[in-house]
Amino acid sequence: MKASLRWIREFIDLPGDDPVQVGEVLSNLGIDVESIEVIEAGATDVVVAKVLDVKSHPNADKVRIATLDAGDGPVEVVCGAWNFEAGATVAYATVGAVLPGGLVVGEKEIRGVSSPGMICSEVELGLGEESGGILVLEDGYAAAGADFASTLPYPDTIFDVSITPNRPDAMSIHGIARDLGAFYDLPVVVPEVDFEQEGTTKAVVRIEAPDRCPRFTAREITGVTVGPSPLWMRLRLRDAGVRPITNIVDVSNYVMLELGQPLHAFDLDRIVDETIVIRLATEGELLTTLDGVERVLTADDLVIAGIDQPLGLAGIMGGGDSEVSQATRRVLIEVAQFEPTRVLLTGKRHAIRTEAVARFERGVDPGLPPVASARAAMLIAELSGGRIVGGFVDEHPHPAVPVVIDLPDHEAERLLGTEFSVEQQIGYLTRLRFDVDGADPMRVTVPTYRPDVTRPADLVEEIARLHGYNEFPSRLPIGTGGGLTPEQRGTRAVRSIMAGAGYHEILSFDFLGMADLESLGLDVGDPRLDPIRVRNPLNEEQAYLRTTLVPGLLAGLRRTAQRNRPDATLFEMGSVFLRGDGPLPRQPKRMAFAATGARSASPLDQAGEYAVEDARGVIEVLCGALGIDATISQQAIAGLHPGRSGRVVVAGEPIGFVGELDPDVAGSFDLTRRVVVGELDMTGLLPGPFAPFVAPSPYPPVVFDLAFDLPDEAPAGDLVGVIRGVVGADLERIIVFDVFRGSPLAEGRKSLAVRLTMRRADRTLTDDEVTPIRAAITERVSEELGGSLRGG
Amino acid sequence: MASLEDLTELETRAVADVAAAASVEAVDAISTAALGQSSPIAEARRALRDADPDERRALGRAISQIATAIEAAVEERRTVLAAAERALRLEADRTDMTLPGRLPYRGAAHLVMQVWEEVVDIFTAIGYTVASGPEVETAYYNFDALNTPPTHPARLESDTLYVEYGDDPEAVLLRTQTSPVQARWMESHDPPVYIVSPGRVYRRDAVDATHTPVFHQMEGLAIDDNITFADLKGTLAYFIEKFFGPGGRQRFLPNFFPFTEPSAEMQFSCHVCDGSGCRTCGGTGWIELLGCGMVDPFVLETAGYDPTQVSGFAFGVGIDRLAMIRYEVPELRYFFDADMRVLEQYR
Repeated sequence: MKASLRWIREFIDLPGDDPVQVGEVLSNLGIDVESIEVIEAGATDVVVAKVLDVKSHPNADKVRIATLDAGDGPVEVVCGAWNFEAGATVAYATVGAVLPGGLVVGEKEIRGVSSPGMICSEVELGLGEESGGILVLEDGYAAAGADFASTLPYPDTIFDVSITPNRPDAMSIHGIARDLGAFYDLPVVVPEVDFEQEGTTKAVVRIEAPDRCPRFTAREITGVTVGPSPLWMRLRLRDAGVRPITNIVDVSNYVMLELGQPLHAFDLDRIVDETIVIRLATEGELLTTLDGVERVLTADDLVIAGIDQPLGLAGIMGGGDSEVSQATRRVLIEVAQFEPTRVLLTGKRHAIRTEAVARFERGVDPGLPPVASARAAMLIAELSGGRIVGGFVDEHPHPAVPVVIDLPDHEAERLLGTEFSVEQQIGYLTRLRFDVDGADPMRVTVPTYRPDVTRPADLVEEIARLHGYNEFPSRLPIGTGGGLTPEQRGTRAVRSIMAGAGYHEILSFDFLGMADLESLGLDVGDPRLDPIRVRNPLNEEQAYLRTTLVPGLLAGLRRTAQRNRPDATLFEMGSVFLRGDGPLPRQPKRMAFAATGARSASPLDQAGEYAVEDARGVIEVLCGALGIDATISQQAIAGLHPGRSGRVVVAGEPIGFVGELDPDVAGSFDLTRRVVVGELDMTGLLPGPFAPFVAPSPYPPVVFDLAFDLPDEAPAGDLVGVIRGVVGADLERIIVFDVFRGSPLAEGRKSLAVRLTMRRADRTLTDDEVTPIRAAITERVSEELGGSLRGG
Repeated sequence: MASLEDLTELETRAVADVAAAASVEAVDAISTAALGQSSPIAEARRALRDADPDERRALGRAISQIATAIEAAVEERRTVLAAAERALRLEADRTDMTLPGRLPYRGAAHLVMQVWEEVVDIFTAIGYTVASGPEVETAYYNFDALNTPPTHPARLESDTLYVEYGDDPEAVLLRTQTSPVQARWMESHDPPVYIVSPGRVYRRDAVDATHTPVFHQMEGLAIDDNITFADLKGTLAYFIEKFFGPGGRQRFLPNFFPFTEPSAEMQFSCHVCDGSGCRTCGGTGWIELLGCGMVDPFVLETAGYDPTQVSGFAFGVGIDRLAMIRYEVPELRYFFDADMRVLEQYR
């Protein structure tokens, strides 16, 4: 909301004249000043002039010669505008005048006629956007020769303030002045209302939905002439960010800005039987609002209606049919109160955000309608020549009951941490126009314009506001200790290990499109293909909650490749969402990674491209660092390369999968090279228990190699497993150092060579001890894997 | 058998040959020829057995002197040549040290997650526990328990993402704040409460420079016998100083949130221009950082606490926003972009 400092000063005699300081005070009161703009009059040596005569130019058809009384005798100037005649009052820039754009006005010769200075338009004076003609001032604007700049309401300061949803009272110039009055402890005047009435209106108001409309007032003004508002009104609205329209509409906007009460003017002659009904709309009822949009109403929308049809959407926007026009002679001013929440919901439903909505949704002071009605009536009469008709209609089915709160005298200290005397508290509350009785508790009656204040804590906030939040002391309390849970520590460990392994963490949205899941090559019936849907998604690509982190990573690989960075190592940690039995979905935490392209940042390394070995390496590094004993089993995983994928198993339980993406799946993400992926459940990656330290043995090892002739499909992991089982605790280390196929081996066979390091902690092993172990290994490998010792 | 003269001549020739030898190999060959098993010197030594005992000693000494002289020449020449050959070998092994090194990629935690961990650490250091909760949440914990009744605009479909789960279309949603974690915590713990709850939160916002449907927030909650606004101020001042460094100023302005009363917005003096006004702070010298306040009595009551006996403060801060401010990231959406050019900047 834009608030003019001059306007505020009409209600309060503020000390000092530094607008920045006023802005600071406003911010400290909770009226947040987002920006401050200073408006200057901007024109010098422009004077008010009376047009004495207009005649044609001897040598030109498009311009005329006007004779002006600018204070010191007649002056003739050439003028290209046609929107004025003799008798008009205009703004005349004399020779030497400087206009807001910096233009210096001189004496010009136009088609042989000399023109000392010029008559100005709104645009030239920096006062508006109307450039179709000159600025025609209202009759009696000022005496001819008067300095035009000094007739303008400038300089002025405009505060752009943001009002929190709990402060309907601050949604007006007067309300802001009232808060400043409380801060400075200064009186705030009430806007002038002074008029006479004649006759009695025949208008009738019937409230059929009193819960939604606790008060509705109507006042008739007759004999109005609709036309433009005077300059002061137009400027005031412009500076508040409201476009001037006609005097009637301008007054309703003016009073709304001034008092915070939205109001609406109807053309009374267009209301059947001069009867207004406030009722709920019927489902599907149509209303064309002032913005020209035809609205389909619901049974939850409140309308201001004639007896035949809706005239407006209550509290939100009027209808086109009963709009005030140039032909309007009688107006009915509606000033009402509506239930805030419903105004908000209807406004949202129809996507209408008006100044009226912004005020009604916060809750307008129930005491305000008669005041605003009178103020508007007086101004309309003044600006349009209308006469106010007696018989003010004030339907008030639900009069507001003032809120009374008991405030214990220590409550403010208990919440704010600083001591307040009862006198101090009463002082602050009284300045805010709360009535206070008694001392402990203080019995506080809240003004009707503060619907947000209902409890002691709300009063404490008021005391805090006036005292100043920045005046309170500062103290650092220390908590009871806690820190991170094992899960939280584990999450951090996984993150740092993955980063150390050369992977970059990404953050994806938790949303997927069905197409993303369908391109993963999963089996029918896979729970990941049954994602939970967002009821009101932003779009179909984000309509489901992710059931796997893989699509986000693949989309990431595709995106970075599209930007000419095709080598990438990515990981992400986050929740996936799966159907379960409880009231909420299961939301397990996962860690997934994906990599493709060159394995080194430098092509000189000739390190090759990412392949499944890298995926296995990630598992080894990750689980090794976390102290988790993990194995990878050979298993075709849906969506992955059938011969290059497997499950990650910890303590006999699968915790996820790793491998290379199926080339077709990769292709559907525009990835053409091998893509390494893995996805693991975080519960399987909890750091293991503390491992006791093992002192290295001082005795020498026995190191020997064994090579086996094995069926091609026998996994190396199984061979290692068998050997571990046979040797037991004395096996310090075993590595597979050679894999070989072809002659002299038979078709379908391969050779696996392993190097064993055996060592005891208590003594030196002898060859005699090792020989039977070798024999046992050979026997077990033959039994379990169908292998034979080569060269043995 | 060679005469002593012959041997002396051999010595002279061998020493000269050694001096002229171009490689360690050549030196070794000369040495073998001059001193080896079948060399005249070895032969002469063997012949000493048969020599006249009176001459044997003098002859033996002379042969030894000749042999020693040759050995010394060989050793000297070999040392020189070996050093030269080592130098050549290492020179041949020379590499361009300005070429790229051999490394796997340097990975990194995401910037937002780094900030997440940092801000959590700032609070665990003063005795806070880290609480977490589900991202798909019930409307009860996300709204009702936090003084946000069903008619509140925040609950509208235009702002909140609802999830099709169960029968009630408005019962399950993507949490719009991490406050439901606080509501759950209070339900199962008695005061004192000192927790922070970092997490992902969701709003129905299309992606633009300052909005994404997913972002990250950390909320803090302290409830105890004697918690006041002064404690809130002191805690946030501590937090800001730890995160942005010393020397900044904070100010608290009244604001409004459904779950706190009194409510405040904390601003801090722009760390880029120190309050004189710049692009980062929009010319105001102040950066709007977080919302906070004293826990609303309704929220305490809903949790089963007695609002006349205990009091507390709460605050919420955008983790992404902290990262944007400190690292001068111009648009929020970069955080959700897997572009390697972005990710490689995180360190």
